[in-house]
Amino acid sequence: MRPLLTLTAANIRSYTRDRAALFWTLAFPLIFILMFGFIFQGGTTPGLNLGWADQDGTPASAQLRQAFDGLNGVNVIEGDKEASLSNMRDGKVDAVIVVPAGYGEAVASSGGATGPTNIVVYTDPSRANLAGSVEQTVAAVLGAVNLAGRPPLVVAQQETLQTENLNFISYFVPSMLGLSVMQVGIFAAIPLVADREKLILKRLAATPLKRWQLVGSNVLMRLLIALVQSVIIVAVGVALFGVQITGPWALTVVFVSLGAVTFLALGYVIASFAKTEDSANGMTSIVQFPMMFLSGTFFPIESMPAPLQTVARAIPLTYLADALRQVMVGGAAFASLGVCAAVLTGWLVVCFAIASRKFQWQ
Amino acid sequence: MATHAPAPVSTDAVIAVRGLVKRYGDLVAVDGIDFDVAPGEIFGLLGPNGAGKTTTVEILEGLLSPDGGKATVLGVDVAKGADELKPRIGISLQTAAMYPKLTVVEIIDLFRSFYDRSRPTEELIELLGLGERRKARTAELSGGQRQRLAVALALVNDPELVFLDEPTTGLDPAARRALWDIVSDLKKAGRSVLLTTHYMEEAEILCDRIAIMDHGRILEHGTVDELVSKRFKERAVRFDATDGLDDDALAGLPAVTSVKHDDEAVLLYSTDVGATVGGLLELTNARGVEAENLGIRRATLEDVFLDLTGRALRD
Repeated sequence: MRPLLTLTAANIRSYTRDRAALFWTLAFPLIFILMFGFIFQGGTTPGLNLGWADQDGTPASAQLRQAFDGLNGVNVIEGDKEASLSNMRDGKVDAVIVVPAGYGEAVASSGGATGPTNIVVYTDPSRANLAGSVEQTVAAVLGAVNLAGRPPLVVAQQETLQTENLNFISYFVPSMLGLSVMQVGIFAAIPLVADREKLILKRLAATPLKRWQLVGSNVLMRLLIALVQSVIIVAVGVALFGVQITGPWALTVVFVSLGAVTFLALGYVIASFAKTEDSANGMTSIVQFPMMFLSGTFFPIESMPAPLQTVARAIPLTYLADALRQVMVGGAAFASLGVCAAVLTGWLVVCFAIASRKFQWQ
Repeated sequence: MATHAPAPVSTDAVIAVRGLVKRYGDLVAVDGIDFDVAPGEIFGLLGPNGAGKTTTVEILEGLLSPDGGKATVLGVDVAKGADELKPRIGISLQTAAMYPKLTVVEIIDLFRSFYDRSRPTEELIELLGLGERRKARTAELSGGQRQRLAVALALVNDPELVFLDEPTTGLDPAARRALWDIVSDLKKAGRSVLLTTHYMEEAEILCDRIAIMDHGRILEHGTVDELVSKRFKERAVRFDATDGLDDDALAGLPAVTSVKHDDEAVLLYSTDVGATVGGLLELTNARGVEAENLGIRRATLEDVFLDLTGRALRD
């Protein structure tokens, strides 16, 4: 165990002293998130489309509808509850307000005996900015209905609804995490080839160190970097852009770890075929860029031409990013989590098999 | 954990090589060699680049497997027992690169962690004279310092047998001498050393016994005195080659047994140096040429190598 840990510590030290490696694995994804986050932040909510399901049908409820409709930048679209919620899932409206039957009666009785009545407001927590502005709008309207100094007549009951149309940054943050995990893995090829070229691997082979310890230390270090990356990327997404992380942490960690190990195995495959550090650099780029653009990180896969969709269906980053979006922000599923895990594991097994046959230690 | 007592000295050979062969495709890198290294001696494999020295050493270190023959190191067959051997030997590769971003102390500590028993880091740093550079990253070390670190790493496990592959290649004379002292001290501490070199002087000064290697074969082995006296009863008269003096005329000079060319120099092997030099001066006067940089020396390993291979040993 001791050589495994000391070698892992040595790897981490080397890594933290390598500015280029730090930039590509830690700063680069952050720059991407900041850039895209600020570019797309304003543009997502040109106006507020409000789904309106009136189950009361009294003059009082019509009056409330008028109050919303009269606001600047608010567009009320009427429909029954099911249709409105379905519109919201499809991204046609941003939020849905349901006025339950009995609303008019309750308002008429001035809340005396029955207490305040509820209207139900559906928002999507993963679209935090939008949810916030809906909340403010509702509060403003209800403020006018509930006169100051009196017990409130109407209160808003908040409900959440997961929509399939994530706003850009909520879609982008888990995608970018997937991309970073990929880079941590495949970029391992470059120091591996460099260590072989400098005969460091050969020198280590002349010590009692075992090969599993050598590979294990690499796995441990890359896992650690991937987890640190996850924390940084998620923290920035949440703190600066209000991305709402809805999914369980444990499952996120599972997929980040599985992704890191799979892409590390792919890094070993690259190092098996690259003879020099320069060729390792070139080969990681060749592997990296198609994955970056065809995995749905920047554009959803459905929007690609059919031949490219076929490629997207084959590459591992598609499934890692998809799984992370599903787990972290409730993104629409391209494939089920089980399929994502299976595809990643399949890539891991194939890469491991290739690397264990082809990787040259000297 | 650290032990300073010399490793137990066995009376058997620490290295025994018989009929060793290694091929790379059509190239026969090691072509059936035999030699023994006795406990406590410094044994040198001397030869030009590409002679097969490094291949031989890497087979003995367990890094390469031989295609034929047998090699026993510390009583262990290297083809079968490399894992058993690794804790007991120390090696320094021809290229002494290490993790460039780690410091001298960090790398020594890292290597110590690979062994059950190891010498204290400070002791190694002092032994190799790396004290002032302990916090330096290896990328910042000079060539000589890097070689000394490589030797320090070869000694972390206090090995019975040390392999040093071209330990002084590319070093300036002062750094080379400093490393020679370290190797001599290893011998004094009872360790056995196998080193490879293409420097004649290094082999003459350091090695108890030498094997001269070329094209994968060992041409001759023995002590320096044995190698020289076996071939040369004569001494050599050398001077810079000049057009006015043909080999036939030189061979006819008094007491000359043979004429050889070593790059730009002519070597006259002579049983009576006085008579040869007298004859040479008469000849140059008669022909109106001059024998520049004229000198006399006893035969050296250089002459042995020239005699064995027909060419000079150069970097």
